[in-house]
Amino acid sequence: MEDLTNDTPLHFQRDILPLLSKLGCNSGGCHGKPSGQNGFKLSVFGFDSQADYDAITKEARGRRVFPADPQRSLLLRKATGTTAHGGGQRMMADSADQRMLYTWIEAGTPWGQPQAPMLKDLLVQPKEITMQPMRSQQLLVTAIYSDGSHRDVTAAASYSSNQALIADVDSSIQIKTGKHPGEAAITVNYMGKVTSTRVLIPRPARQQLKRLAVANQIDLLVGQKLHALGLQPSSLASDAMFLRRLYLTSIGTLPTVEEVTSFLADQSPDKRSRQIKHVLNRREYTDYWTLKWADVLMVNPEKMGARGAYEFHQWLRQQIQDNRPYDQWVRELVTASGNSGKYGPTNFFRAAETVEEVTKTVSQAFLGIRMECAQCHHHPFEKWAQSDFYGLAGFFTGLQRKPLGNDRLLIFHPGHQAAKVPVSDQVVPTQPPGGEPLNGLDQGDPRIQLADWMISPKNPYFSRLVANRLWKHYLGVGLVEPEDDLRTTNPATNEPLLDYLAQQVISSRFDLKQVTQLILESNTFQLSSKSNQLNFDDNQYYSHYRIRRLPAEVLLDAISQVTDSPEQFVGMAPGTRAIELWDNRLPSYFLDTFGRSLRESPCECGKSDEPTMAQALHLMNAPEIEAKVTAAAGHAQQLAKTNLTREEITNRLCLTVLGKPATAREQTVAEALFQKQSRQTATADLMWTLINCYDFLFIH
Amino acid sequence: MPASPDLRNPSCPSGNQPSSRGMQRREFLQVGSLAGLGLADILRLQHASAAGKPVKKDINCIFIFIVGGMPHQDMWDLKPDAPDGIRGDFKPISTTVPGIQISDVLPKISGVTDKLAILRSMTHTDSDHGRGFHIMMTGKKAGAGDFNGNQNNNQHPSLGSMVARLGKPGALPPYISVPNFLNSGGPSFLGPSYGPFTITADPAAPEFSVRDIGSPNSISDNRSLRRRAALQSINQLEQRVEALGDQVKSLDVFYEKAYNLMTSPQAKQAFDIEQETPKTREDYGMTSMGQCCLLARRMVEAGCRFVSIENGHWDTHRKNTYSLRELLCPSFDQAIPALLNDLSQRGLLENTLVVVTTEFGRTPRINPLAGRDHWPNAFSILMSGAGLKTGLTIGKTDKMASEVADRPITPQDMCATILKVLGIDHRQMLHTPLGRPIPLVDHGKPVHELFS
Repeated sequence: MEDLTNDTPLHFQRDILPLLSKLGCNSGGCHGKPSGQNGFKLSVFGFDSQADYDAITKEARGRRVFPADPQRSLLLRKATGTTAHGGGQRMMADSADQRMLYTWIEAGTPWGQPQAPMLKDLLVQPKEITMQPMRSQQLLVTAIYSDGSHRDVTAAASYSSNQALIADVDSSIQIKTGKHPGEAAITVNYMGKVTSTRVLIPRPARQQLKRLAVANQIDLLVGQKLHALGLQPSSLASDAMFLRRLYLTSIGTLPTVEEVTSFLADQSPDKRSRQIKHVLNRREYTDYWTLKWADVLMVNPEKMGARGAYEFHQWLRQQIQDNRPYDQWVRELVTASGNSGKYGPTNFFRAAETVEEVTKTVSQAFLGIRMECAQCHHHPFEKWAQSDFYGLAGFFTGLQRKPLGNDRLLIFHPGHQAAKVPVSDQVVPTQPPGGEPLNGLDQGDPRIQLADWMISPKNPYFSRLVANRLWKHYLGVGLVEPEDDLRTTNPATNEPLLDYLAQQVISSRFDLKQVTQLILESNTFQLSSKSNQLNFDDNQYYSHYRIRRLPAEVLLDAISQVTDSPEQFVGMAPGTRAIELWDNRLPSYFLDTFGRSLRESPCECGKSDEPTMAQALHLMNAPEIEAKVTAAAGHAQQLAKTNLTREEITNRLCLTVLGKPATAREQTVAEALFQKQSRQTATADLMWTLINCYDFLFIH
Repeated sequence: MPASPDLRNPSCPSGNQPSSRGMQRREFLQVGSLAGLGLADILRLQHASAAGKPVKKDINCIFIFIVGGMPHQDMWDLKPDAPDGIRGDFKPISTTVPGIQISDVLPKISGVTDKLAILRSMTHTDSDHGRGFHIMMTGKKAGAGDFNGNQNNNQHPSLGSMVARLGKPGALPPYISVPNFLNSGGPSFLGPSYGPFTITADPAAPEFSVRDIGSPNSISDNRSLRRRAALQSINQLEQRVEALGDQVKSLDVFYEKAYNLMTSPQAKQAFDIEQETPKTREDYGMTSMGQCCLLARRMVEAGCRFVSIENGHWDTHRKNTYSLRELLCPSFDQAIPALLNDLSQRGLLENTLVVVTTEFGRTPRINPLAGRDHWPNAFSILMSGAGLKTGLTIGKTDKMASEVADRPITPQDMCATILKVLGIDHRQMLHTPLGRPIPLVDHGKPVHELFS
């Protein structure tokens, strides 16, 4: 390869635009914003080079560039701060950057030769590297042009890490590793071309590691990754830990004392497997997964009215209850037409109220493609362009929402019309993202064509996203995070595993229960949450189970269950549990404080499991919690009335609240409480203690 | 981009943002044993230690954030000579400071302008709400990603979190946020324990109270202590530390802080806004803005270091004049003078910094919907108290309040100024969990005109 020399004639697209990007001229806050800045508008990040060329060379009566006397060009004067510039001085008067701009203007602002070499590829060295913790490594980024010439663009490229705590690139363009073993992908971006480099930081002394025992293919793939990273898996979870985890993650419900004791007493070797099949057929499985999808699909009475939210929720519930194949119910949802007060899935088009919102929601919720950037400009570091956004929007353009009175709408699509890019009014051919234009769009509802493309096994996004969703739900952290942001620049922490899970989604014909069962039966799911010296700092490779707080609804139900004191929600039948609620706006300080979903975006990001001080205060002091703990008809008071011994009461409470028999520690604590106060008071205080303890508040 | 006035239901695109907070490892605070001590003993001890030490006056901060984008040209930086379509409907009026004029929509504030420094040359480059919050609350430009989601999205600690981390602790949580958590008001890599204690209730509501800050009435002090001792025994375990996970560790810290709050009588009093006379409450105005300011005064009085107040719905893409005149400015114009006068009369203004800030200003040109859009190029903010020079304006914009004409002040400068006033060197390094040193505020300089 030859180096591009200084005599090479300058080319607008190859040389000048990257410079403007580097100087920040076309950033979203400056001339890159849709309205431009002070009459000078550039395309954001330089995606529309022709328009930018015209803006610089033809608009403003030619004042921006003045080849006869380049020094008088506004472009130079503003950028060097010689003339007042809102954006301040962007480059020094006698810098390489300034000389390049000057030379280009002096040469008559050429677009460049048609045959001029163009940026073709980006190379990063090293492409993959194994490093020790707390080390640095120089990077080299080379731009390759169409004629084979190359240029070192290390300083001009931009960098971002998907795991900045594992490894990142610092201002001196060195890869810098952190303290912990792990893996990071560093994305390198230069003029719309993207490449990445992977950094692997294994833990030393891996030959003595115990391997993960293999129950199914999942464990094989997880085990390979752990071995490569030098991480030793934890041992398998105890029966009690497994049962509680299984119940909480799959059905959002605690096991009862009877369920715990009979499972612990069962001696058969296949008892875990049988228990998994059992819970997946429980009614609460339907409740919990309906809640989960209602969060993603924004079942929100503020958007669709109470009637719409109720019908939508009921419909989702029916799909989960029937274990209808995922592809089938999504197809029905995306193509739904009818009266929103009667036919639930039409309310999807009320949760997303405009063509743009529908486009974003469909791509994010079902394809894992974040399209919102491409609504206004080319995605800054992915292949998505405005044409992808409006190509997808074309399937929904013209969708009708006719009021029927009583807050009901008639949703239907009268026939295809292609979408137009606002402002330019340019018509974009309707096509799925990354796909080809489809035939037969003009026959009937174009959403049907889209839905068939979406659910086709050939579409990699659809199955990967739902596989990642399931995995994240059961293991606590997605293979890709955020779970609905699948990009080449945001790779999975275990690509072979995600590929495998996505294949299983397809080969099971989108039977999510079957894939769930596969996950639950893996030893990976059944590992202990207790870490060891060789995996305690792993947070993304599943060497130990990830401890996390019970979600808001599950925690409230768990407290109601263990205290035997049901929550009464306004307007709901007595005994209604939080995971059964269809209305996420029912007043509940508890659910707000513990972070139920706001259902305002098509993701689970509206939900928070972040601990706060308000949560600690609420659990300890709230009159509502105290009422449950001390209720006369509640569990504690009823236990106190029996003639069970203190030890028996303690054991019973531990089984109820923690899902395991009492140990000596809990007996000692109970003894102290029972010594100083009445049996009623002591039992209530023991209940209070157990529902405030970390063994209860977290999934272990 | 059109944005709805209610930012908690933004029409701006939203999504989530990978957070670095989950990864932090903070020292794991152990709860000391209290066996044998009654609540009364603890309170006596706390009181004794407070009384024994000479009290140095710390400067506290009330940080009022006008959410949506405060129209500088209609409030603080009027341009009566600008052309139609830019000038707007408001007229300049004189103030207590000769030579300083502000908008006729702020008649009461014109009476306390001597207590204000008006910074008219704020500027940055982020015209998106979420990204504007980020730079104005942290002093750091937001990196890649979407900042309009509901999640706590900080890529750098907010000012309040810095103060919580570096300031001296008191009876109250060091960083309190009312009546909402503000996006970008979070702790980032400092970890959740330096996030705000958020009072998610509007103190103007008749039933307002700060929930759960003491045991239920039915529980005696001794019983409360027995419960606490039992909980400590249950949670203090063999192998804990390594197997804990970050969420357990931060909840543990919150339990400890919650105990501190519960055992502090000053804290309970500070939150009890009913202790104010009806007249005082009326002076501030029975509005969210007014009562949040009053509650903030009570909290800094009791030793809270940083109170952030969110005041929303200022995103006037439509009907800007009407919104300001009828909906937004009246409560603002009543609350700010009430706060400054009250602080002053109580001798608190000298050790309280009051900041009124926003994510950006609004476009010079009035749009076809009679609104103004987002404009970070030039805008105004206010500072007051804490011994700063006041009764002055700093910086200038051009004829259309469009660009900074003199003395640009960046968000970094604003943050450096606030930290300096609070006795914190903004160049001080924080360490990320990677061990990388990061300055509190990079490239900022305190606004020297404010200091004597």
